[in-house]
Amino acid sequence: MESLDLIFCAVAAAALDICIFVLIITAYREKRSTKKNWRQISSDMELAEQDKSYELGCDEVLIGRHASADIRLPDLSVSRYHAMLTVANGVWTIKDIGSKSGIFINGELTREAVLHENDIIKLGNRRLLFRKRRDSRVR
Amino acid sequence: MKSIKRTQRLISLIIMLFILGMAVLVFKLVHESSFYMMNSDKHELGFVYDRSGDVLFDGTGEGSYPDNYFLDVGNIIGDDSGQMNNTLVANNVEKLNNYSFSNGLIKDGGKAAIYTTLDHASNRAVYNAFGYQDGCVCAYNYKTGEMLVCASVPSLDVTKGYDNIGSFLPGTLLSKPMLGTVPGSTQKVSTVITALEIMGSSNLYAKSYNCSGKYINRTGDSIDCHNIYGHGTQNIQEAFENSCNPFFAQLIEDDDMPLDRVMKQYEKMGYVLNGGESVFYEIDGIQCETASTTLEDKYQFKTQWGCIGQGDTLVSPMQLMMWESAIANETGRMTMPYFIDHVTDVKGHIKDKAKTRYSDKLFSESTASAAKQILLTNGADKYSYSIVGYNVGVKSGTAQVDEGAHENSLLVGFVDDPSFPIAFCILIENKDSGYLTTEQIAQVLLDNLKNNN
Amino acid sequence: MYANPISYVFSCLFVLIAHSAMLCNIWFNGKYDEPRDIAILGAAVIILDIAYFVVILAFKQISYALDFLLILVLGMSIIFQSCFGKVGFDVKHYITCIVCLAACKGGYMLCRDHKLLQDKKLYIYGAIGVMVLITLVFTSAENMWIEIGSFTLQPSEFIKPLFVLACATSIADQQKKHKVLIFNVVYENIALFGIMAVICLVQVKSHDYGSLPTFLSIYTVGFLLRICYPKAKFSKKKLFAVIAVLVVFVLIGLKYAPDYVQHRLHVDIWSDKTGDGYQQSQALIGIANGGWFGVGPGKGFLCHVFAFDNDIVFATISEEWGLLFALMMVLTIIIMAAVPLINPTRSYFHGTMSACVCAAFIVQMALNIFGSCNLIPFTGVTIPFISTGGSSLMVSGLMIGMLMAGQSPVFKAHEQKKQEDPEPAWRWKE
Repeated sequence: MESLDLIFCAVAAAALDICIFVLIITAYREKRSTKKNWRQISSDMELAEQDKSYELGCDEVLIGRHASADIRLPDLSVSRYHAMLTVANGVWTIKDIGSKSGIFINGELTREAVLHENDIIKLGNRRLLFRKRRDSRVR
Repeated sequence: MKSIKRTQRLISLIIMLFILGMAVLVFKLVHESSFYMMNSDKHELGFVYDRSGDVLFDGTGEGSYPDNYFLDVGNIIGDDSGQMNNTLVANNVEKLNNYSFSNGLIKDGGKAAIYTTLDHASNRAVYNAFGYQDGCVCAYNYKTGEMLVCASVPSLDVTKGYDNIGSFLPGTLLSKPMLGTVPGSTQKVSTVITALEIMGSSNLYAKSYNCSGKYINRTGDSIDCHNIYGHGTQNIQEAFENSCNPFFAQLIEDDDMPLDRVMKQYEKMGYVLNGGESVFYEIDGIQCETASTTLEDKYQFKTQWGCIGQGDTLVSPMQLMMWESAIANETGRMTMPYFIDHVTDVKGHIKDKAKTRYSDKLFSESTASAAKQILLTNGADKYSYSIVGYNVGVKSGTAQVDEGAHENSLLVGFVDDPSFPIAFCILIENKDSGYLTTEQIAQVLLDNLKNNN
Repeated sequence: MYANPISYVFSCLFVLIAHSAMLCNIWFNGKYDEPRDIAILGAAVIILDIAYFVVILAFKQISYALDFLLILVLGMSIIFQSCFGKVGFDVKHYITCIVCLAACKGGYMLCRDHKLLQDKKLYIYGAIGVMVLITLVFTSAENMWIEIGSFTLQPSEFIKPLFVLACATSIADQQKKHKVLIFNVVYENIALFGIMAVICLVQVKSHDYGSLPTFLSIYTVGFLLRICYPKAKFSKKKLFAVIAVLVVFVLIGLKYAPDYVQHRLHVDIWSDKTGDGYQQSQALIGIANGGWFGVGPGKGFLCHVFAFDNDIVFATISEEWGLLFALMMVLTIIIMAAVPLINPTRSYFHGTMSACVCAAFIVQMALNIFGSCNLIPFTGVTIPFISTGGSSLMVSGLMIGMLMAGQSPVFKAHEQKKQEDPEPAWRWKE
């Protein structure tokens, strides 16, 4: 009797354990699908410099010289907090958040602009290309 | 991105802290669970055994035992009723409970037990030897620290319950060896040790004082000797054997005995001086008083009377016995007594095996040897006819209690035999109410201990 | 949309298996009059599981992991609550659990679009104000509940999700600084601090000290994340100064706290076993009695102790199901709070919300569990999802809904922004 008690308690606990484990696995599987989903939402864009590319991983991406900026451009011509990229309906928008040197989109100074594929964004001396994401493995 | 990472970091920090807290909690629960169980009304207590496997306490309450079988250990082993709280069972009831966190409470067949070092047969014999008189005896092995006998008269049989608690004699529920009592002349052992420690052996032996039956000290108070004709001029050995109060009063007054050094030595030995906070030894959870006395001015009657062992001085019999171990071992370190040899858990696994422990150094080895010699000489000179068959070092004492209304008789000592290392303290209360002597008890005690082992 | 059908099928199956294993355990170890009781309970739980699995199909979410965890925990909760003392289906708790599920979905729908919420910020502040007023007017120190028919509501509970929302919505306006005299001031910070202070005062007034730490933790997390937000320009010196001031305030508060609070802080439960320490000492005894594997569902004695089903529910579960199982239960709730770690949110708004919700859950659990086990002073807070109590469950559901929203967000542009710049006429070509 005593051992039966124990066995069933242990079985219940083990079942719960396994269930939690399965759910964690599910969450991990979802990690991949959410990534895909995010790419859909964000039109799968990225910012690129000559030899570098920056992922746009969330709906508000801060560009600046400061260490806490999401995309850090260590260049004195770039303000500490320079520009903010936001996404809505799959459209990315760039916004000046009080920079000293301003934002030039395709050579035009703007405070706020909708970005299109292959736009060139100039922040200070840095030029960034807004383009479709390329899989690093393919390259 | 970085800002999102920051939120994640914060979440993980919070969760980490919580998990840490849970770990502490689980650790605490598992370790303290037996304590929690003891606070519930669900107990499944096991047995307490003596050194030969004889039952001293039956937690199941189901066994049948002869009448008054537990009488002699009633107030030291005690029970879980809560009536006595300075007993072995009351303070170690967790160890006795058939419970462990992983096994739960085991109703039948749990093997939780306490194996004590007591010798039930000797204990009972000593207890019975008291007859109708009151008192107490404690004895232990001064090499290992095993408590062999701890009897306190009157006592009770815990199996009979407490229904007639009103008719219990005073002191029934107390184990007297643990309580302070007036030591009488047994205090002179401490005074001799102090003198030896301060002056050294040869210097002390060179001192001699005159006793004319009464000594008027410098402040005009008189210290009486029990021999009204006086002992004449004596040295320390003679005065110790005569237990001569005037000698010791003069010794205290001597310029070679500065009071601050006397006080220091007394404190080292465990005395609480001049009304300080009491200090207790804890022996397997049982609280045992140490000693206290008054030392204020060495020319005052009170201080001298304290060093002779009367007046304010209180020493527990256990403490007196433990000092004997420091002398008998010639190390100056007391052997700390213990009751519990080992404990078994629910499944019968042995745990908490006792180890011999020693106190800090109370006095030097040379002092211990000299004091041992004085005690042994006293034993050989005065007790070889009353305690037969053992080479004992002893000191007797007579204590006036209740403001001189009663006299208690004490005897402390040790057997100087490497194969039979026993230190003991015997107290007979109100000795004039009967014909019992401490030597008779000592004879019974030693004979039983010798024969039962 | 249903990206991982196989995982989801397995998740459903294993949730059902976990619940069935618990029911089996009751069947063999439990105390019940007739098997019918277990059958009813089992049917109810399984039906709820399956119904929920069907319902969530209608919600096009990106992630469902939290839904499965939620139904797992709620099923466990129903089983636990139905077994205390004796097996018998707890209808009231069942209904509140359904309410909780509904609240969860409601919270999800409400919070998935953060831009919408951010624009409606003032309504949130308004709602908090209303709730505080209701708390002030309708409840007192003796009675924290409002009774409507046979249901009782605890208005102070509802402030929690609103406060989380307030913390999260204020994030975006961090950059808008205003100069007042010589200080650069962010109105949002002051507003939030004000709200926090008002809530705390109301809590103190209504003697609800248990909720205080929860609010403080939400505020702390919100505040920390806000000052960490880029451009908040909050120097470390200032931060330490603020922390120091807070610590001093807490110390002063403890020192001059009213007598009954002091008493709570210094109660020695074992010397006052039948008085103030009764619940805690009984809880600890219960846990000790249960051991690792418990005495069996329905066989415990803690169900005779006051508040066995909410304040000391951890101990009650430990006694009947074993400490191991109780720890598993706690683990499930932790994993719920930890889902944003596995699957990061895609906006700072949702991230902040997740962190605040996590803080609220964990602090509440910590207060309850450590409090009932005498590690910290005992306060009457509930474990989310496990304890009984309609308000508590509903609010927990809402908060899980917020977490879900963070997992499956929508990023929609707002009306005003739609009308902005058409395609530029001239485009510079590289």
